Amino acid sequence: MIKFKRATALLLALLMALSATACGKSDDESNTASEEPTASADTADQSEAPAADGETKEPVTIKFSWWGGDSRHAATQAAVEKFMEKYDWITVENQFGAWTGWEDSMSTAFASGTAPDVNQINWNWISSFSSDGSIFKDLNEYSNVIDLTQFDQAALDDCTVAGELQAIPVSKTGRIFYWNTATFEKAGIAAPTSLEELMAAGETFKTKLGEEYYPIALGEFDRMILMVYYLESKYGKEWVTDNTLNYTKEEIVDGMNFIQSLEDAHVTPSIQTITGDGAESLDKNPKWMDGRYAGIFEWDSSATKFRDALTDSSTFVVGDYFKDMGDYQGGYSKVSLGFAISETTEHPEECAMLINFLVNEDEGIELGASERGIPLSKYALQYTTDKGLLDATVSEANAKVLAWTSFKLDPKFEDAALKSQPDGVYYDVFAGLSYGDYNADEAADTLIEGVNTVLGN
Amino acid sequence: MSASAVAGKDIKQPIKKRTFKKVCKDNAGFLFILPWLIGFIWFKLYPFGSSLIYSFSDQHLFNGVTKWGLMNYQDIFESTKIMRAFTVTFKYAFLTVPLKLVAALFIAYILNFKIKGVNLFRTAYYIPSILGGSVAIAVLWKALFKDDGLLNTLLGIFGINGIPWLSDPKYALFIICLLRVWQFGSAMVIFLAALKGVPQDLYEAASIDGAGKWRQFFSITVPMITPVIFYNLVTQLCQAFQEFNGPYIITNGGPRNSTTLISLLIYNSAFRAHEMGAASAMAWVMFIVIMIFTVISFLSQKYWVYYSDEDGR
Repeated sequence: MIKFKRATALLLALLMALSATACGKSDDESNTASEEPTASADTADQSEAPAADGETKEPVTIKFSWWGGDSRHAATQAAVEKFMEKYDWITVENQFGAWTGWEDSMSTAFASGTAPDVNQINWNWISSFSSDGSIFKDLNEYSNVIDLTQFDQAALDDCTVAGELQAIPVSKTGRIFYWNTATFEKAGIAAPTSLEELMAAGETFKTKLGEEYYPIALGEFDRMILMVYYLESKYGKEWVTDNTLNYTKEEIVDGMNFIQSLEDAHVTPSIQTITGDGAESLDKNPKWMDGRYAGIFEWDSSATKFRDALTDSSTFVVGDYFKDMGDYQGGYSKVSLGFAISETTEHPEECAMLINFLVNEDEGIELGASERGIPLSKYALQYTTDKGLLDATVSEANAKVLAWTSFKLDPKFEDAALKSQPDGVYYDVFAGLSYGDYNADEAADTLIEGVNTVLGN
Repeated sequence: MSASAVAGKDIKQPIKKRTFKKVCKDNAGFLFILPWLIGFIWFKLYPFGSSLIYSFSDQHLFNGVTKWGLMNYQDIFESTKIMRAFTVTFKYAFLTVPLKLVAALFIAYILNFKIKGVNLFRTAYYIPSILGGSVAIAVLWKALFKDDGLLNTLLGIFGINGIPWLSDPKYALFIICLLRVWQFGSAMVIFLAALKGVPQDLYEAASIDGAGKWRQFFSITVPMITPVIFYNLVTQLCQAFQEFNGPYIITNGGPRNSTTLISLLIYNSAFRAHEMGAASAMAWVMFIVIMIFTVISFLSQKYWVYYSDEDGR
């Protein structure tokens, strides 16, 4: 009896150990699938599947990650399904979610070598995570699979770090004004086309509509980008060139005063007011939805989510850049996001095929449309334009951004130490200025110190 | 032949004769705890040790180590941001632990009476502890405390101006503390079990002597459950110093870092700024702080904790 009890206990302990091992990894299926080719190498006739071109290919499983909203998830999942139909020996496992927290988890995955095989990446991830080319594969090596001729060399250069093309640029983006014309009409004025009109609108909103109404809502990072737009318009210099901040303290103080003047003139609510709204982001803020905040300064690729959040989306219009901001055409455009292949993948060819399918092949283009902005691939742009697949608002905004912006952006502008919420330098500086913890002089000092630290100066 | 040599021979001989069956029998206990042991070494001991090593380097998630030294520890004491996070953490711990213990004991005391539907109340009061720091709670808390939230709307009915609970650095920490105090269920259940263990004859004797409910509570109940109060104090203190979910999901450390607890700063440092060395050093300082408070709590036992099996002390 004692022996039986011991044997049972030992068996239970072993089962527990086995179950603990099984819990350790969530991608059991992919492991099994990816091991199949190895296992089937000796018995090719049993496991090989027929390929679309008549050849036989070994079954392959790859993982694909992206972030985005519901419409992007639906479109990408549909595109992946099509891809698996077309290349039936490849299985793609999807891993997707919202942006919040995404960068934190992906950076850990890249560092630990557990990232998916194909990844939608933010442009600055190339320089932040793979400045020596150790995280992402050099896609020049797969130019036989990905049609690189569809992309301008300048766009490819933007994704080339350490002499390696580390991502395929999907679209370019920049910040532009958007207005909810319904609120402006309610105030009896037209949506602003100049800085002067915007400044005047603040007072009009306050007197005619009430304290809760503002012509534009600007968060901390929005203020940083708007300040750079203002400074570039006025002084005609890029923010950073060759690891050097191009602006003097006096010039940055000027920029800080400009931002603060917007708050003082009731053009934009204070950071405290926006925080008190309790919304995760501006597009989810009830005051944006019901028109109390009548404008935003946002990415062209984000237009749809702001438009669709409005009670009446027909009153959402793309604004114009302000010509009275300075003598230069300030503002910048940058690669919004790209597709990259993890260095750790065992199936780089199949990963390259998936990327090419999404950016250069009819089915992938059609399903993706403008979900990731206006395509940079010439073929995709032609195809989506001809078929009328592009969102009119995004298209208009993107055209205005690319036509106006003339300055380049240094990738370190979006370094985590500067941009991360809540304790990145930009958040500290502009919230501090708004809360009154910093004056313009102190805010400029903090910003300069933070930027120089990131630049390594 | 010396005595030790003889003894050595005596010891060695049985080992040679040990069979596989006997080895298994002798080490059965070890086999049973092996799964836990592997988990402990791999997921606790190894990170524990490696974080200590990292704390003396500028370990970066992507750039590796370029220098070694005490710079991270030096930064902790020189950086206003880190010192402020420690201050906020102390405020948080010293506000929430007593409040939570008082709330848990008070409710447990009430729920110890024979009242109708007591099981329903016990369940209801325990539910917040199950919910923990979830997205649903973040939504609820924001809906309650935002500028035009439920609480300010109620205040408005009585002609009181709304208070910027979440956006004013003066109030935000209070709101985060409130979330923790609200989740007193687990401490309450432990108190409830302890209250049931207090002998009824003590209360009967006290009643005969004319002691009222309050007197009975402070002269009988509290002294009899001091071991459980002590247990709850130590566990709650440790948990409060390590709190992460509340400030992360509701305020993300804001406004103006007024709710940035040290755990949140460690997270930001490690997974947003990718500075693993600095984050490890902060974690170790936090560990030492918790150790100090735990040791102080244990040393204080002899002055206020009553163990009935130790001759009255």
